[in-house]
Amino acid sequence: MVKNTKERMPSMVDYSERGDMEMLKLNEIPVRTSKNFDINNIELEEHNILNNIEQFKNITITEENCKIENNTSNIELVYGLGKILTNQVKMQANQKLKLTIDNKQYKENQIEFKFDSNNVNLVEDIEIIANQNSESTVIIKYLSDENVQAYHNGILRVNAKKNSKIDIIIFNMMNIKSNNFIAIQNIGEEDSKVNFIIIDFGGNKSVTNYYSNLIGEKSNNTINTIYLGKENQIFDLNYIVELKGEKSNTNIEVQGALKDVAKKHFKGTIDFKKGCKKSTGNENESCMLLSDTARSISLPMLLCSEEEVEGNHSNSAGKIGEKELFYIMSRGFEIKDAMKLMVKAKFNKILENIKDEELKEQILNEIDNRLS
Amino acid sequence: MEIQEINRNIYDIKNKDEYDYKIKKGLTHEIIEEISKQKKDPEWMREFRLKALDVYNKLELPTWGPDLSELNMEEIATYVRPKTGLSNSWEDVPEDIKSTFDKLGIPEAEKTSLAGVGAQYDSEVVYHSMKEELIKQGVIYTDMETAVREYPELVKTHFMKCVPVNDHKFVALHGAVWSGGSFVYVPKGVKVDIPLQSYFRLNSPESGQFEHTLIIVDEEASLHFIEGCSAPKYNKVNLHAGCVELYVKDNAYLRYSTIENWSKNMLNLNTKKAIVGKNAKMEWVSGSFGSKISMLYPMSILNGDGAKTEYTGISFAGGGQNLDNGFKVIHNSANTSSVVNAKSISKNGGKCTYRGLVRINENAKNSKSSVSCESLMLDDVSISDTIPTNDIRTDEVEFSHEAKIGKISEKTIFYLMSRGLSEEDAKAMIVRGFASPIAKELPVEYAVEMNNLINLELDQP
Repeated sequence: MVKNTKERMPSMVDYSERGDMEMLKLNEIPVRTSKNFDINNIELEEHNILNNIEQFKNITITEENCKIENNTSNIELVYGLGKILTNQVKMQANQKLKLTIDNKQYKENQIEFKFDSNNVNLVEDIEIIANQNSESTVIIKYLSDENVQAYHNGILRVNAKKNSKIDIIIFNMMNIKSNNFIAIQNIGEEDSKVNFIIIDFGGNKSVTNYYSNLIGEKSNNTINTIYLGKENQIFDLNYIVELKGEKSNTNIEVQGALKDVAKKHFKGTIDFKKGCKKSTGNENESCMLLSDTARSISLPMLLCSEEEVEGNHSNSAGKIGEKELFYIMSRGFEIKDAMKLMVKAKFNKILENIKDEELKEQILNEIDNRLS
Repeated sequence: MEIQEINRNIYDIKNKDEYDYKIKKGLTHEIIEEISKQKKDPEWMREFRLKALDVYNKLELPTWGPDLSELNMEEIATYVRPKTGLSNSWEDVPEDIKSTFDKLGIPEAEKTSLAGVGAQYDSEVVYHSMKEELIKQGVIYTDMETAVREYPELVKTHFMKCVPVNDHKFVALHGAVWSGGSFVYVPKGVKVDIPLQSYFRLNSPESGQFEHTLIIVDEEASLHFIEGCSAPKYNKVNLHAGCVELYVKDNAYLRYSTIENWSKNMLNLNTKKAIVGKNAKMEWVSGSFGSKISMLYPMSILNGDGAKTEYTGISFAGGGQNLDNGFKVIHNSANTSSVVNAKSISKNGGKCTYRGLVRINENAKNSKSSVSCESLMLDDVSISDTIPTNDIRTDEVEFSHEAKIGKISEKTIFYLMSRGLSEEDAKAMIVRGFASPIAKELPVEYAVEMNNLINLELDQP
């Protein structure tokens, strides 16, 4: 593996003096429901919209024969998090990266952003083009020093061309004082396979919009997500997969745990569009509640305008099984360690899809740290 | 979208639009005052109506669900008094009205399988009767107007307390113009073994029906109440914005069954809610076949420890129909449980949506909820959506939700055809099988009616 560490310069910065305090309405669901259900969008009061986005230099890229450029195509997002944040990326991104993968040989690329006192605000625009027949893995990590109050607003566009295969792992390890916003848009062409693994641990507010447009016949998209919330963290996950190509397929698997007064909104939509005959879509979301004050709201939507499809979703919530906990404790574990073990066991279904052992170890350590 | 003409046989019988009094169309303070005067309301009810109109004027239309833009209240007469008073004998009901209810099978059902019947025609109840032995046990089953007059304290303490007038715009409308409906009180410990039924028939074109049903099942009592509704089809929209308030006291039991078969020019914007006490049980059984647009989400609020609720419902949307139905439950006490089993069938361009809510509050320790939704698509021009919200606010719960969507299995059709059935008969058999969990929860004659409705819908091209 060729390691090539680069420091990237910012691409566009607006040096206005101060930010504007605004009420942000983010992550609108594709089909609204009653506003009393508290799920149509997430409202952030008094959110500071930065006018002054300084440079962000602390980026490390480890690449294998991947073409990296500093311009992106700016294709409009179908959903995104909302106009204000989308425009911020459009106008003020301080990192722009375009990765083009066009070789048949398997490649692994890693991008690591680290927030510290000199690199506080990251507004980035990433585009990944997986060309025909390519096979690759891209890992994107967001880390932060313990004391920095960081801000991240990013857009990630993926275009998986015919017969390409790409695994994308996003690991949000930011501290819980920071805010994390990310909008992902995927286009899956014929016979493409896009596997997303999203490990969402950081951010006082962590808001993710994921939109996948499976236009190609036999296009395939899996999304595996783990979230872990503590103290007063809020997670808002809005996943939308539209199936348009015949025999296309999606699988959404979301596993999470919440302790203290953490709160999670999960909105998962599988939308069978006309013409996606013989397509399948499955969605499963499960939330472990580790305290009696944590709150889990979910809206697993199935929308269907095509007859010949199969769609399933399931959703569950509850505390860790007492019998299992008791069994582990009877083997000499303290309750806290037994709980950690149970959470990790539950997450293992998703973690076993990660081939990079070093990364897997890092995730498991992070779970230990955050549950301590 | 053009509504397809279908042969709905008995449901489409139109009587001449004859009435004793019909209020002018629209919705103003003067009109509300006039309705109140016509109905000889007590003063508190007159004031209540006027306040409700103010709330209606302040509230917005929902920003979600089906498009309601074709509803124009300026074109709807909200009160139509039929040319007859309330009677307790079918012989005293005018012939054309009696004949409609005869064809709907109401007097016959009363003789064979019901303990009491209420029949509403347009805005007023024209017939109400109950078996003598229930009267002796202290059961009250009467029309709402009589209840307001004769049981003012009981009505005042419960009327629009379960469903507050500011719940949503159409509840406020209901509060302003309500008329008719049934009032039931089952005293402590009394078990009503045979069902009571109220039937609501809207005959007058460009009008609305706004009946109010208030049922109180006192401690350790039990009741099965059946509600039926239908209307002939007209070219312009009719509106139904009824309200059902159910109080199921500690250790009591109530089953509320509905077969809704409004005509396909009806906007059915109905509200139903139950407050369920300690160790009490509330069961909802719902068949939704008619209406152009339906927005109906019955709700159970489980307020007492150990309260339980079950919802079993089916919607069948054909061409030009948009049925947005579902169920809401709030777990508000420990050891409560809810079971939801919802099914839908879409055909010929119809749209079915399941929209629900499960909320398990902080104090609802050791509660359980299980939700299952199944949707069947019978062609590729129809639409089926599932939009359930699950809001879990405490850890000591067992909550699960599952949903399935798909078409009739070709293998199953092939198997049935190999046994000698035609393709259409095989499909009909599978659809009836799909609906059977709901059918078996209904009294036999209603299950037959539901199967007939399914046949009727499946027969349409």
